[in-house]
Amino acid sequence: MTAHHASPSVPPHRYVIIGNGVAGNQAAEGLRSRDPEGLVTIITNNRLLFYNRYLLPLLFRSHKDWRELQSHSADYYQKHRIRVIRDVRVTAVDAGRRQVMLAHKEPITYDTLLVATGGRSYLPEELADSRHLLNSFGTYEQAMAVKKALPDRGTVVMLGGDMIGLDLARTLLSIDCRVVLVTHETTFWPHQVTPEVRMEFLNVLRDMGMDVIDGDAAGGVTAIEPGTAGLPARRVVFRQGGDVYGDVVMPFYGLVPSVEFMMGSGTDIERGILVGTNLRTNDNHIFAAGDVCQIWSEQEHAYRFYYGYQNVRAMGAVAASNMTGGNEHFAITQNGSLRRDGHGHIDSSFWAYD
Amino acid sequence: MKATDIQIALCGSAGDGTIAAGDILRNAVARAGYRVISFDVYPPEIRGFGKCISRVRITTEQSYALKRQSDVFVSLDDSHAIPHVGEVRPDGAVIFESQPVATVAEGHHISGHIHPGHIPYGIPLRELSEKSTGGGRSRNLVVLGYIAGLLGLAAEHFLSIIEKKFTKQGSEVVSRNQAGFHAGFQAGAATFKLDNVFFTPLGAPHGSEQVVMLSGNAAVAQGCMDAHLDTFFGYPITPATSIMERLAVALPKRGARLLQTEDEISAMAASIGAGFAGARAATATSGPGLALMSEMIGLATMAEVPCVVFVSQRGGPSTGMPTKTEQSDLNAALYGSPGDSQHIVIAPTNVEGCYRCAGKAFEMAERYQTPVIVLLDLYLSNRYETVTLAVSGPPFNLNANKPRPRLEAGEVYKRYALTDDGISPRAIPGDAGCMHVITGLEHNELGRPSDQEEMHAAMSRKRHDKLLGALQHPDFTVSKRFGDPGRVKVGLLSWGSTFGECLEAMFMAQAEGIPCAAMKVVMLAPFPVQPVADFMADCDVVLVPECNYEGQFAHLVQGILAKPVVRLSRVPGSPMPVEAILGEVRRLARGAVTAIAS
Repeated sequence: MTAHHASPSVPPHRYVIIGNGVAGNQAAEGLRSRDPEGLVTIITNNRLLFYNRYLLPLLFRSHKDWRELQSHSADYYQKHRIRVIRDVRVTAVDAGRRQVMLAHKEPITYDTLLVATGGRSYLPEELADSRHLLNSFGTYEQAMAVKKALPDRGTVVMLGGDMIGLDLARTLLSIDCRVVLVTHETTFWPHQVTPEVRMEFLNVLRDMGMDVIDGDAAGGVTAIEPGTAGLPARRVVFRQGGDVYGDVVMPFYGLVPSVEFMMGSGTDIERGILVGTNLRTNDNHIFAAGDVCQIWSEQEHAYRFYYGYQNVRAMGAVAASNMTGGNEHFAITQNGSLRRDGHGHIDSSFWAYD
Repeated sequence: MKATDIQIALCGSAGDGTIAAGDILRNAVARAGYRVISFDVYPPEIRGFGKCISRVRITTEQSYALKRQSDVFVSLDDSHAIPHVGEVRPDGAVIFESQPVATVAEGHHISGHIHPGHIPYGIPLRELSEKSTGGGRSRNLVVLGYIAGLLGLAAEHFLSIIEKKFTKQGSEVVSRNQAGFHAGFQAGAATFKLDNVFFTPLGAPHGSEQVVMLSGNAAVAQGCMDAHLDTFFGYPITPATSIMERLAVALPKRGARLLQTEDEISAMAASIGAGFAGARAATATSGPGLALMSEMIGLATMAEVPCVVFVSQRGGPSTGMPTKTEQSDLNAALYGSPGDSQHIVIAPTNVEGCYRCAGKAFEMAERYQTPVIVLLDLYLSNRYETVTLAVSGPPFNLNANKPRPRLEAGEVYKRYALTDDGISPRAIPGDAGCMHVITGLEHNELGRPSDQEEMHAAMSRKRHDKLLGALQHPDFTVSKRFGDPGRVKVGLLSWGSTFGECLEAMFMAQAEGIPCAAMKVVMLAPFPVQPVADFMADCDVVLVPECNYEGQFAHLVQGILAKPVVRLSRVPGSPMPVEAILGEVRRLARGAVTAIAS
């Protein structure tokens, strides 16, 4: 196992990481320790430095400034010489030239590239026109927008109800907000549950105080409309008739990998970027880690996603090792099924981030 | 509620509208009632692609200097802005173009240079400009709108200032620029604000005063007008030119006159001629022009003719750095003229001081019958501040001449009569019975040439002693002490534009618990010996910050008072950073007085 080391005659190795989440930052840390002379650059469309998105629900319990969510101070990046280019968008990767193209028409050259862009909220096509009436929950800014829009003891209508949404839901219930869950096939995503388990845990949610509407029985959601005077700000309309009002409507239909910019790069993509257990793509200079990649499973003979903070962090570490000449393989560190905690409330290993 | 204190820096290339945007910003926030101090940096070339920076500090209460680090930094041209991107405070905002029209070479976009501790705001300025105005030229208005929307400033004042600025170019241009501002405003208002910078509402202004936005040179011109200037003679030179430009517009409206002469020698000579004829006269120049005027200033001293010279200093010597600020013409102003050429030299410390010193300079010139040099510098001439003017009218005495006694029949008028206070009754050509001559030669009381030893000594003493009265000139602050009373560890002794930075440094030092005081010296000749001596006696150590290499003011103080001072002499071509002064104050407060002081 050899790391790249620059000598006076060899220019420092250029590592570029697209994505500023758990995988990307874990990889940056690993790259810096394994190659002290290398140039490490993180590119992100976020304005903020890396912060713990698992803490976002806590914003509703107490006021937390984004500075309190940051995993590292600004000094950390300076001290470790990790350059973070923020608030920019990657439009393409030119694998032939080994360049990442940014939306402002600047190329960033790499020797080794890690794609760790994660996923973004999935929104069913029929709700695309209602996007402006929905509140997402992927960033600090979005979380604060929900907080601002939600009155004291207000009502949140959750569409879908993946585990990201349910994490928020339990917090909202604890501060006496009303949560209305409109179920969907993605409820409990990324857990894959049997009908029996699904029924069991929907009852758990009801016991916790959540209003559960069977989305399938209602024919699914067809539209979101502004609420009328005297009623909450949003109206959710069902295909079979009927509706439900909420101050905020939030889609939680799981994540889709953010890979559009990789189209045309020559990298194999199915739904996510396809990698081996060493996280290397079909291009020797490109790796992928986190929610954006599908990792080959020898057991299942298929590429599959692995979610959860601990899995993603482990991928970042493996990627850093292999980008610097190592030969490590990702092994799942976090798996599990839905469970109940000591209070009988729903719990999941995906909510663990320590 | 926390008071507003926000500094915004706009950086671009000549042609980007950077300075214009800064001008609209400072006028809009001033109209909203905020206090403003602002300074523009631009290239020496008249046309081209040089760097322009407009810095605007907006406060609830009066501030005295620009901050070293801005709260918001805008790049309209990354090649110029990248070297300055570090001039933003922690968690401050950097706003940049996210959709440039052309391909950017690797490493040449500002996004890759933003400090991790700053917050980037990539905005499609050109795209917003094109969509809202049909062209990309209104990026500067778009970014102004973005800032206003982001920070919660009302749009109305911006829109009215934009209308005023572009109204001569037609309603279409006004509408287009307002549309650009609107597009930016909506984008800014829709942007989540990550920083805790905000504008606090303002109370109602005092009815007894009016607050106006002026540059130093504009304040000088206003002071001249309010002092009823009759004639102005000048030759253009950076950074003094805008005094003449403003007066060229204002004077004829009042039936007064302005003449652009062929050079500075003529301008000075014409001012003396006008003064001799009884007109209130002035000229304005910079260091190289002052050098040309020095012989004529000697003539005015010898002939005791009132005249006022505004000198805006720039980097020197010679042509030097025309668009960079410096305080290195002090020696030339004090001693530049041959012989014992005593005259008055005053130096305002802020824009309001420019107004007062301009008006008072005419009072002094007429009262003491001498040239008065008002020493500005580029930083003061070009910086903008909100200035409070009394509604009751200009605070100037428009007839400061010593009354001429009635002559008895057969009595001879002595233009240079030796009096107790050294000031002779002044008559002007045409006054009945007061015919006299003036000359550059030494003369007797009648004005006739005389080289007798006793007369030369008496006249030299007269020309010297009469100026001492200026140290008690009515309603004029010759020097002033600020900060802690009594004994202090560190005293800041300063003059001219650097005093604002000294005052800010003093406040910061006091906040750190350092016993500290500051004194501004406005009258540099004659020198206010006693107040400065008293101040220095109260200080464990005296620090003299000034923007020249030699420490010219420190030399002056040490030469007159024979007491040690610590020098902080710098020639950065830009204002002395507050932090540089504060750092020295801290060092001195720790007792680190070195051999410099001895």
